[in-house]
This record gives sequence, structure tokens and C-alpha cells, in this order.
Amino acid sequence: MERTATEPLLSCQGVDKYFGALAAVRDMTFDVFQGEALGIGGPNGAGKTTLFDVISGLNPATAGTITFDGKTITRATPDRTCQLGMARTFQFNAGFDTLTARENTLIAAYFGRHNRMIPGMKFDRETQRLADEAMAFVGMDEVAHETVRTLPVYHRKLLMVAGALATQPKMLLMDEPVGGLNPQEIDEVMALVQRLKECGLTIMLIEHVMRFLVRLSDRVLIMHHGEKIFEGSASGLVHDKTVVDVYLGEGSSRRLQHILEDQPAP
Amino acid sequence: MFETGPNWRRDVAIGAILIAVMIAIPFLGPSRYFIGQLTLFFLWATVVSQWNLVFGVGGIFSLAQMAIFAFGGFATGMMGLYLGISLWIALPLAGIGSILFSLLIGLACLRLRGPYVALLTLAIAQVMYLLIITDTACFYMEGVTCRNFTGGTRGLAKFGDFGFREMLGRREYLKGDYYLSLFVLTLAVVFSFAIIRSPLGFAFRALRDNPEYGISRGLNRFKYQLLVFAMSAFFTGLAGGVFAGHFRVIGANVLHLPLLLFLISMMVVGGLGRAWGPILGAALVMLADEGMKDFVEIRNMGYGALIVAIVVLLPQGAAGGLEQIWDWGHRQLLRLRGGRDPAATGRAEVRQRK
Ligand SMILES: Nc1ncnc2c1ncn2[C@@H]1O[C@H](COP(=O)(O)OP(=O)(O)O)[C@@H](O)[C@H]1O
Ligand SMILES: [Mg+2]
Repeated sequence: MERTATEPLLSCQGVDKYFGALAAVRDMTFDVFQGEALGIGGPNGAGKTTLFDVISGLNPATAGTITFDGKTITRATPDRTCQLGMARTFQFNAGFDTLTARENTLIAAYFGRHNRMIPGMKFDRETQRLADEAMAFVGMDEVAHETVRTLPVYHRKLLMVAGALATQPKMLLMDEPVGGLNPQEIDEVMALVQRLKECGLTIMLIEHVMRFLVRLSDRVLIMHHGEKIFEGSASGLVHDKTVVDVYLGEGSSRRLQHILEDQPAP
Repeated sequence: MFETGPNWRRDVAIGAILIAVMIAIPFLGPSRYFIGQLTLFFLWATVVSQWNLVFGVGGIFSLAQMAIFAFGGFATGMMGLYLGISLWIALPLAGIGSILFSLLIGLACLRLRGPYVALLTLAIAQVMYLLIITDTACFYMEGVTCRNFTGGTRGLAKFGDFGFREMLGRREYLKGDYYLSLFVLTLAVVFSFAIIRSPLGFAFRALRDNPEYGISRGLNRFKYQLLVFAMSAFFTGLAGGVFAGHFRVIGANVLHLPLLLFLISMMVVGGLGRAWGPILGAALVMLADEGMKDFVEIRNMGYGALIVAIVVLLPQGAAGGLEQIWDWGHRQLLRLRGGRDPAATGRAEVRQRK
């Protein structure tokens, strides 16, 4: 299953997703390469979350093909794509609310790595180690035994990342990881994603907060009405007329340019 | 180890004491009525301990549990009557049959959610009830009387019992059924504890809490839903078979709605999804029922009041309430010993971050 360096880890070819007559995702074609961080932006309702649903198998594509790590996963169910090495987080605070944070992560580490034909009687040592490492990595070891329902939004966001990491993914799909967080918390999540990139993890991330998106992404893809309207470097973004017109607007475009100039392109 | 339950030593100790007490009771010269009621308690506790796996742990609102119980009872009785085999052989076979029956029900419910599962499973139980009470065709003749295949409105009888009457005599035979029921309950409870505290139990709870998130973390929803239906059926079917052998008759009345509500109230009172919940709930509800026996006119109101009181005052059920008291006591003890309280430090940390 050796892939050459030029072969993408994830490849979407002509992917459509229709809800009745509504094209939530239309003719999406793009690649994500090993170790890369691809940022996805676009206005509300552009189809970003739907794109993640299609890739992860939660809501299969109407047309097109998706390959991941050399396998076709167009019709694969979410449990399979997870076990194949694709872990996602959700825009809204998803979690097993009545369980503790550590139990949430244990479940991900146990069932998310490979298919358990007949589950064992207890979580094995390897599972426990992976779960504890993931909790420590996101900085949640102190609240590991809290019930998820009682956790603040910040911890719930981090917990989704811990669960994703515990499945030992090849690729991480993050849907608005900083939505609803305050600036200080956003910086902490930004540092976390930076650390994940340094570990060599391939990342796809959806984000509305543009400073977050452009700083962390190696490449940016902008969606509008289900279609790709831009794909390229973050610095190209602010000069692209379509993107400025339909999404950024003149003001944010200028602000974004300042952010990009402060921060040398990665 | 945390995952096998933080309190497994405690649970084993409580279980051992309870079993010892129950084994001793027949030697203390109790009334036949008391022994009979305890036998029923063991059987109902067995049913709710397994129903709790589907309803409480799995969060699947199946009302088919008494249909599975009836299946086990009728299968045991029919094998005894028509195949002429010993109920001791019929019983485990009926248990296995119950698994298959429950799997079919699970399969029918696979694509349904929430209240639709309740409606479909209730309909299955009602169809079963109607098929039995409208069964008037002659299956065999007993002298000049015509007997139905299912026993019809009179119930299925004459399939014998577990042989305790011959073994222990007419005065003592109840004790045989008592110990058999206790044995089935013990196995059922050990089984349910093992499931609840294993990765499988966590898979069921994960899919109950958030199915979309669960499947995104590697859980196959269909597989685990079918598994929970299969696993909750064996001991339920056995309880049905023991019930049939104990009363030497099994009829459609086990499918009556009031009995179903009686058992649901046990699960709710005890605490849905909690390991000790069903046993505690069965005990409390049967005690309350016993206490209200003399006040027939307010009996149903009494149930209602009990359930409302528990739901409002103790949403986690009696087992949840006791668990909170235990945790509190445990923390006080740790504090006295100067130990660290992991839960409290965790909370302090959250407050600091905010
Ligand atoms: N399950 C669904 N059924 C019907 N329409 C949907 C469904 N999910 C999303 N949509 C629609 O698809 C479009 C894209 O939504 P979404 O992917 O959530 O956008 P974004 O994440 O970019 O804000 C929206 O118009 C939304 O209403
Ligand atoms: Mg979205």
C-alpha cells in the first residue's frame, strides 16, 4: 500500500451532493496531499459541512468518486472511513454526553482504530494508553473524569479533537474548531493545530474565522453555493476578485492582507 | 481498573451478601406466600435486568420484552407438551429460540427511531396476544374436549414442571422453583454487569447518547443494535420458561399492558441504564405493590405517584441516588485520609481556566 510522494492522500473527483433539487455540493474536484493542511472557507450554507459529511460517509455522495489512502471510499460508512484513518470533528458539540471525557476518548481509541468483530471484556492497555495520550495532548487530562454534559464549550471542542486523535488517524477533518470560542481560546486551539501539523498529520479544516484559516492552512479552498470558487495559496485569496466580491468584501480583505503580511507565508 | 467499574469490589461484595441472604431465607421458615412472591421477584428482576440493556443502556425504546418472555414461556411449554421432552432440556432451547425471536424484532426496528420503535414493538406484542386469544382451532383432542395449539384463552397447560413436586414433596416443592429462579437471576445479573462495564456496554451507551458521533468514531450502529437485542433475550426467555414451569401454565395474560407498565416502572424507579437499577427498582415496586394490596381503589394512583415522585426527585432513579451518596461518602473518606480527590481537582482546574 505504498503511495508515491506525488499521489494524494485524499482525492475527490467530480463529487456532487443533492438534497432533492438543492445542490449542496457540486462538481467538487480537489486533492489533499500527505502532511498538508487544506483550509476550507466560504459563507454560511456554502456546503462545507456537507462536503465533510460526504467524504466521511455520513451522507454519501450523489455522484463522483472519493479515494483515500489508495482505496475508493465513495460508499464507505463513517465507521469504516474512521477505521481507515479519517477522523473528523463536528461543527456542533458532539459527544457522548452522559459518559466521562476519558470514556469518550476510550471508545474512540477502541472502536475507531480497527473493526472489532467481537469486542473484548475490557479496554486493553494499548487503548488506555492511546486515550490518555490523546487527552494529555489536547490538555484535558485534568478534567478526564468529568461528565461531558457538564464541560464548557472549549473543553467539548478539544474533546472532539482528543477522540479523533485517539483513533490514530492519517487525516483529520475539523469542522469550525474555534466557532463560539473567545480570542484567547482561539489562540490555544491555533497552537494545538500547529502542533498537530508539526507531527506531520494531514489536516482539512473548515473555518469562518479567517485569521485562523489563513495562518494554519498551506492551501485554501473557498466554496460558494456548493461550488469551488477558489483554490490556491492564502496570499492569492485577497487578490482574487470573485472571492472578495462574494465572500470577503473589501474591508475584511484588507484586514486579512495585514494579517498575511505580519505572518510570513508557511 | 477504572473501566471495569470503579466500584467492582463493592458490587461483588453486595452481590455475594444478597445471594447468601436469599439462599438462607427458605431455611428460616417463611410462609409459602412469601416464597412465592420472592420467586416472582427473581423472575421480574431477571426480565428488567435484561430489558435495561436495551431500554436503559442502549436507549432503544423497545416494548417487546414481555413478548420475548412469552415466547420463552410458550416455547418451553410447547416443547414439553408436544415433544414430550423434559422442561430442563426445553428451557435452554427456549432461551436460544428467544434470541432468534428477539433478533427478528431488532431487525424490524433497525431503521426506526425513538417512539416508532415503541409503537412497532408494542404492535408485535399485541399481535402475539391476539393470535393466542383468537386461537380456536382444534390442535388435538383430549377425550371429548378440543385443545388449541397455543392454549387459547385458557392458557397452555399440562406440560409438567421442573419435577420439584416429586423430588421435594407437595409441601416443599416451591423451594425448588425458588432456587431455580434465584439461579437464573444471578446469572442474568452477572451477565448484565459484565456487558454494562465492557467496551460493548460503552458502545451501546455511546450510540444512545449520540448515534452520529458514535458511527463517526468507528461504531457500526446496526451491528450493535442487533447485538443488544440478541443479548437481552436469552435470560428473558429463560425467565419465561421458569415462569411457565413454576405455574404449570402459560397464557396470553403475560402480554397484558398493566404488567408491561409494572415492569417499566421498575426500570424507571431503579434508574434507567444503571447496573443496580433493575434489581433495586423491582424490589421497591414489588414492595410498594405489596403495601397497596389492601387498598385496591388507590393502587394504580399509588403507582402513578411513585413514578412521578421518582422522576421528579430522583431523575437518576434509586440506584443513581444511592450512587451519589456512595460517591460523596467515598470522597469524604479520601479527604480524611489526606488523599487527593481527582474529581474536585478537575473542577478546580476548570474554574481557573475560566
Ligand atoms: N440533511 C440535509 N437535508 C437538506 N438540506 C441540507 C441538509 N444538510 C445541509 N443542507 C443544505 O445544504 C446547504 C449546505 O449546508 P452546509 O453544508 O451545512 O453549509 P456550511 O457548512 O457551508 O455552512 C444548505 O443550504 C443547507 O440548508
Ligand atoms: Mg457548516
